[in-house]
Amino acid sequence: MFWKRKNKNKVFFGDGAAITNYLSDGLLVFDKDSKLVLVNPQAEEFFQIRKERILRKSILELSRFPNFRPLVSLFGGGIKGFFRKELHIRENFILEVTSSPMIIEGKRFGALVILHNITREKLVERMKSEFVTLAAHQLRTPTSAVKWSLQILLEEDLGELNKEQKEIIKKAYNTNDKVIRLIKDLLNLAQIEEGKYLSKIVLSDIEGVIQSIVDVNKKRIEKKKLKFEFEKQKDKLPGVMLDVEKMKIAIENIFDNALRYTLSEGKVSISLKSNKKEIEVKIKDSGLGISQEQHGKVFSKFFRGSNIMRMDTEGTGLGLYIAKNIIEAHGGRIWFESEQDKGSTFYFTIPVKEQFGEFITGEFY
Amino acid sequence: MAKKILIIEDDKFLRELIGQKLLKEGYDIVEAVDGEKGIKSIKDEKPDLVLLDLILPGIDGFEVLSKMKKDAATAQTPVIILSNLGQKDDIEKGLKMGADDYLIKAHFTPGEIIDKIRAVLK
Repeated sequence: MFWKRKNKNKVFFGDGAAITNYLSDGLLVFDKDSKLVLVNPQAEEFFQIRKERILRKSILELSRFPNFRPLVSLFGGGIKGFFRKELHIRENFILEVTSSPMIIEGKRFGALVILHNITREKLVERMKSEFVTLAAHQLRTPTSAVKWSLQILLEEDLGELNKEQKEIIKKAYNTNDKVIRLIKDLLNLAQIEEGKYLSKIVLSDIEGVIQSIVDVNKKRIEKKKLKFEFEKQKDKLPGVMLDVEKMKIAIENIFDNALRYTLSEGKVSISLKSNKKEIEVKIKDSGLGISQEQHGKVFSKFFRGSNIMRMDTEGTGLGLYIAKNIIEAHGGRIWFESEQDKGSTFYFTIPVKEQFGEFITGEFY
Repeated sequence: MAKKILIIEDDKFLRELIGQKLLKEGYDIVEAVDGEKGIKSIKDEKPDLVLLDLILPGIDGFEVLSKMKKDAATAQTPVIILSNLGQKDDIEKGLKMGADDYLIKAHFTPGEIIDKIRAVLK
């Protein structure tokens, strides 16, 4: 076998390979003809099969063993490289599989397939998001009751209120609405972390998506007397693959910040440009900006600018974190430039349709 | 004659709040505290519209909806789901099963809920 030729030290690389026997990860080694030449005990246990039955078998022959079918379908025919793909072997058993081709002195010598058991991590992750989902849902009933009661008082259904009474109830109503918004963000967050974030991905037109968000905010822009501009490209933009609902949340979160943190009569603009690979969206404002020291934290969970917290207590600190997750789930990137008191410019990209396909299959070899 | 609205909602306070508002707007109301009583009231009271919560003790709102849509006598009665479940899957499921509208409780005020009822009853 090839590793014996390359290395005489049998203890480490030979058939009874000591090191591989004691690995906590499962290991499969395929030779250059895609035949299985090494299976460690951990891998035997993962697939619940004795190595004698599977050694020297090709990847296609392995597909006859039901336990191997999920792995074989991950390869889809030939051995190729990939990184940390999740594989459901059976109920309540999830492996993270990494396949890396071995290339020695320019020649292909086969591939290592490393199997890492992540069942427990997945379970804990799920329990955590389920807890957040449950808690958030439980909070919705009382917050609805408070919202409805206060609204009924405010509409003076139960009798007239004097000015001070009305003022205080209005404040209570707004505070409660803040909690409702936080719950909504937490639910979105739990969904992201459950990994089921992108659901319906369809070929879409990003310009149309942005226009619909702009339309919804028209009144707000007028009320604040903002100078707003949406610069579209002359040529038709290439199509992009989007989960439209989710992408709307991402763009709304960025746009909402621009509108919220720009003082009245300030400037906000959105512009688009594209190349063969991606579309770049730029959302620029002349608002409060983010101080240099805080630039590193902008996309982290619950981050709020210190200058902003003094002025406005409404944000949840989740908007940009959610936006970043959604954009990255689409294969895009997000970044910004900002200077305190001068304004911020947020950029993000979305790969055009052809590039998106490659991103989703995740092949890097 | 005043239109009759059936409120299927297990939370007493929410039921009272929306009930009061409906009365004030000139509707007749019937209340049910769980799915089973809801189904019975749909048959017995023949409401003009049902306001339906989804998470209910025993028979849940989805099941109530499916049962009433299967029964020829009640299939035509309009339904507005008024729930705390706000995931896209739930909304799509509810609308697909024949609900006329889907409102998330926390995102609407009683006044806005009345507007939706009015629109459906038009």
